[in-house]
Amino acid sequence: MNVSTEHPIASIEEVKSQRSKRIGYFFYRVRKSPLTLLGASIILFMLCVMLFAPWLATHDPNAIDLMKRLQPPSAAHWFGTDEVGRDIYSRVVFGSQQSISVGFFVVGVAGVVGTLVGCFSGSVGGRIDGLIMRLTDTILSVPSLVLTMALAAALGASLFNAMLAITLVRIPYYVRLARGQALGIREMGYVKAARTFGASRWHIVRWHIVRNALPPVVVQATLDIGGTILVAAALGFIGLGAQQPTAEWGTMVATGRNYILDHWWYSLFPGLAILITSTSFNLFGDGIRDILDPKQRGK
Amino acid sequence: MSALQLIRKRLLGLLVVVLGVSVITFTVSHLIPGDPARLIAGEKATEEIVQNIRVQLGLDQPLHIQYFSYLKNLLSGDLGTSIRTTQPVLDDLAAFFPATLELAIVALLFASVVGIPLGVLSAVYKDKPLDHFVRLISVTGISTPAFWLGLGVILVFYGKLGMLPGGGRIGEGLAPQLNATGFYLIDTLLEGNFSGFISALKHIALPAFTLGFVHLGVVARQIRSSMLEQLQEDYIRTAKASGASKWSIIFKQALPNALIPSVTVIGLALGDLLYGAVLTETVFAWPGMGAYVVNSIQALDFPAVMGFAIVVSFAYVIVNLIVDLVYMLIDPRISGVN
Amino acid sequence: MNAHLESDMRAMNKPFSTRALAGLIITASLISGQAFAATPAGTLVIGKAADPQTLDPAITIDNNDWTVTYPAYQRLIRYKVENGKGSTQVEGDLAKSWKSSADGLTWEFKLKKGNKFDDGKNVTADAVKYSFERMVKAAQGPSEAFPSDMVIEVVDPETVRFRLQKPFAPFLYTLANNGASIVNPAVVEKQGAGYLAKATAGSGPFRLSNWQKGQSLTLEPNPYYAGPKPSLKQVVVKIIADPSSRRLQLENGDLDIAEELPEDQLASLGKKPGVSVAAFPSLRVTYLYLNNRKGPMSDVNMRRAVSYATDYNGIIKGVLKGNAKQMRGAIPEGMWGFDAKAMQYNMNMNKSKQLIDSATSKGGTLNFVYSTKDPNWEPIAISTQAALGALGVKVKLENLANATMRDRVGKGDYDIAIGNWSPDFADPYMFMNYWFDSEKEGLPGNRSYYKNPAVDKLVREAASMTDQKKRTELYQKAQQMAINDAGYVFLFQKNYQVGMSNKVKGFAFNPMLESVFNVDAIKKL
Repeated sequence: MNVSTEHPIASIEEVKSQRSKRIGYFFYRVRKSPLTLLGASIILFMLCVMLFAPWLATHDPNAIDLMKRLQPPSAAHWFGTDEVGRDIYSRVVFGSQQSISVGFFVVGVAGVVGTLVGCFSGSVGGRIDGLIMRLTDTILSVPSLVLTMALAAALGASLFNAMLAITLVRIPYYVRLARGQALGIREMGYVKAARTFGASRWHIVRWHIVRNALPPVVVQATLDIGGTILVAAALGFIGLGAQQPTAEWGTMVATGRNYILDHWWYSLFPGLAILITSTSFNLFGDGIRDILDPKQRGK
Repeated sequence: MSALQLIRKRLLGLLVVVLGVSVITFTVSHLIPGDPARLIAGEKATEEIVQNIRVQLGLDQPLHIQYFSYLKNLLSGDLGTSIRTTQPVLDDLAAFFPATLELAIVALLFASVVGIPLGVLSAVYKDKPLDHFVRLISVTGISTPAFWLGLGVILVFYGKLGMLPGGGRIGEGLAPQLNATGFYLIDTLLEGNFSGFISALKHIALPAFTLGFVHLGVVARQIRSSMLEQLQEDYIRTAKASGASKWSIIFKQALPNALIPSVTVIGLALGDLLYGAVLTETVFAWPGMGAYVVNSIQALDFPAVMGFAIVVSFAYVIVNLIVDLVYMLIDPRISGVN
Repeated sequence: MNAHLESDMRAMNKPFSTRALAGLIITASLISGQAFAATPAGTLVIGKAADPQTLDPAITIDNNDWTVTYPAYQRLIRYKVENGKGSTQVEGDLAKSWKSSADGLTWEFKLKKGNKFDDGKNVTADAVKYSFERMVKAAQGPSEAFPSDMVIEVVDPETVRFRLQKPFAPFLYTLANNGASIVNPAVVEKQGAGYLAKATAGSGPFRLSNWQKGQSLTLEPNPYYAGPKPSLKQVVVKIIADPSSRRLQLENGDLDIAEELPEDQLASLGKKPGVSVAAFPSLRVTYLYLNNRKGPMSDVNMRRAVSYATDYNGIIKGVLKGNAKQMRGAIPEGMWGFDAKAMQYNMNMNKSKQLIDSATSKGGTLNFVYSTKDPNWEPIAISTQAALGALGVKVKLENLANATMRDRVGKGDYDIAIGNWSPDFADPYMFMNYWFDSEKEGLPGNRSYYKNPAVDKLVREAASMTDQKKRTELYQKAQQMAINDAGYVFLFQKNYQVGMSNKVKGFAFNPMLESVFNVDAIKKL
């Protein structure tokens, strides 16, 4: 998994040229893999939707009209209207802001916190490491969806609390991943060398361990974004996500569920949005993993 | 490490896990605002009545005392009494657990039966259109909101086509009298109740498909990557050189070896399926633990939520252990798993 | 959704996909003929959203449990069925006759002969005393409707006497509550306290024969039942959480009755052959609690402003598809004491704006707490938010778990909240005393924390006398004051609707007993 193992001690120039080669190779591989490219383009598209939502939407996503409830898709309302007469297309467009930012927030915070804790734990070792790992393993053994649900319920229903709950439950995964990397790197020649040259422990953690633990964490994080969007949608589905009138895809599918037999469009479009977004992040993450995985690259 | 050592180590670890899980779930479930006594008493009840119920349930005690009395009971195998159903939690879970396990196993079977061949094809045709296509399917599976897919298949297969039942576990009056395994598919066959078996099979088809589809990608991905490794090995080259046919090499030699590392992943998927069933069960009115725990969370039924978490973590550790033992068994090269 | 699924199915059916799936589908379609087996004649299948929690009549306050308990037990009194319709008048069930003292403090009941529990034992005055004392002693939800200091005496095996310490006008009606069910003392003593939570031991027309947790409950006729023999051979209650699944099963003939279907489902269900939607006038109302005690809503001008900013018409015509009517004060139409001339607030944004401007506390965000227990609540909340938003008043919606919402309301930690209310007995007491008496503030009834000493005096006086005409007068006077104070937003009174197969005949709905089906009289063709 670790990218830099082949050259334990390298000059700065070597590292630089290696890195640029690596980046070049990376893009070469992405281009070679149509699915990764597909994932990346959908992500790009979704990011545009998210940024330009106010211009892409045809209606005010929160404007209600109780007399125009649950209308089928038409020229005026491309995806139909919901149970209080809001335009579903505009709500799906604005919903991208919630779902995608949840994905980035959770993965970003859990990834950073988890990596730091994991690297720290792995490099100090001893009793502290044991304690942290015991705690991590315990949290990991609680059914994660149930823990997330209970935590979100405890914090109170809001999108932020849902994000917080998912983040807290995700952190231990990164702790374990980063610690594994740190343990491996700690024994590497160049870290040992740095230590003998008198580099401080913090310097080592910061420069060598964290940096080298990063690639697998990044891969895991990319893969996690899709999963996080799904979990957030599931929380929204059981009423623990964004609050009205904010448009959020999971909540929309959940509400639409009450109307699904006669008003299929209500759940269909936000559900498709979840599916497509989550798929694109997973395709991209999958592709990146294959590219960075030295086991397969070497062969 | 010998098998016995492994078992001893894991069982010791189990104690720690149960302790940790109980602390975490106890804390989190008590953080949820709301008063279970009030829920039982009913909205119109006076404070006096609510207080009285609190006393009856021991909810008036300080939290740490509540926790320790819970723990004491737990050590003697008592998971407490459900606030919502007023029945022992263990009895409730025992009634629901087999349904969940049956669903999870059938879903896993479906995911493996479809996912393994897909994974093999994907590896053999690496980077060809077929590989991309298979990967697209498996990634789509992982990315599908199960509750949404469930609604869809009910709508199509029950609502529009009328081919399969839309909910429940078995047809009216067909439930097996025998309770040998708790699995309707097995119990009906054991008592020779063939129409009951067909009915159970029809009822499990849609939920198992929904749940299995989501995990199909996990299986296919795992098989693909271990197949890729195997196909690089020397013995495959030797076999090729000796003129054996391509597919016979793949299925007779590469696949069995590729399956060994996959056992862990697929086995662990069973653990995921157990609690992944939570939302699927709700959609399909499947009488399992998932629907029970969702209702319990909403009713602030702490003992039930904790009981669920403990039982599932327990099952998870046991499944892990079994997987590792199987692993040792089929791959004697590996003496220890850690 | 179809398009998406079909494309998935197509993908799966490519040649390299396994035979297993194809096999599964083929097998399924071969035997699909059986998927539509209609429910057998003589068996009534009711689909409802959740398992009962407990079947103990001394503990349950949930109508969802009463579907099973009500037909399994008898009570001293029952609601009459007149011309196939449930009424708010009562008649004897176990009781043959009764008389009360002039001061309303002593009630004596003579029991009918021949009523038997499902083990063949007689229903005696001792059993009545035992059941009431057991219920009061349990001191759980059902005991709330009865004075805790009442004394029950056995005069002779067929006569039982209740002594109250102070007059309680609705006493007779409370005896028809589920909590007043008479249980078999022998069974309770023998099986222990927890037994009645999961089984029945009564003298009603049916008894529970099987309970598959999370799946179904089966009721069979009580062989010793003294009343007319029921036509049904079996009643099955199926648990189906998802409303769309319930409706599909009803349409496909797997259910005879489907409960708790959302408005829009009912509308389209009505158009399907073989099923119909029965609608009955009910006494269930939906209303907004406005926090009279603290925050911006403690200002009467703000409360009136919210009352004027509510889109009654849009809610009733749009959200409820016309199956409701706007309330006139607290007492609903159909309950005695209803005031057809009581003042109604109507949507008037100008008036609302003026009131907001004259309110003392300005600015700040109002919170509106609700849950999704009732699917109509969220649209109403969104509509309130939009209307007040247009007047410059920000409303923050908080969708809470039902338990959490109750907690917030019980602590007075909200500005606006929404709720449904249906009476447990046929007396305006259920509305006027519960909603407005400052002694009942909080969850028990006065959820707005409404306080008006003049109203307190009037409703308490009305509760202590038996003269219905005088009571009506007092209640209507109090109601007028409460409407003027805008203590609540009186939204609407809704029809009770249930999806039913056309084969089911003889269902009589009683507004006090939602979710209870008169399975002793229902026939199925």
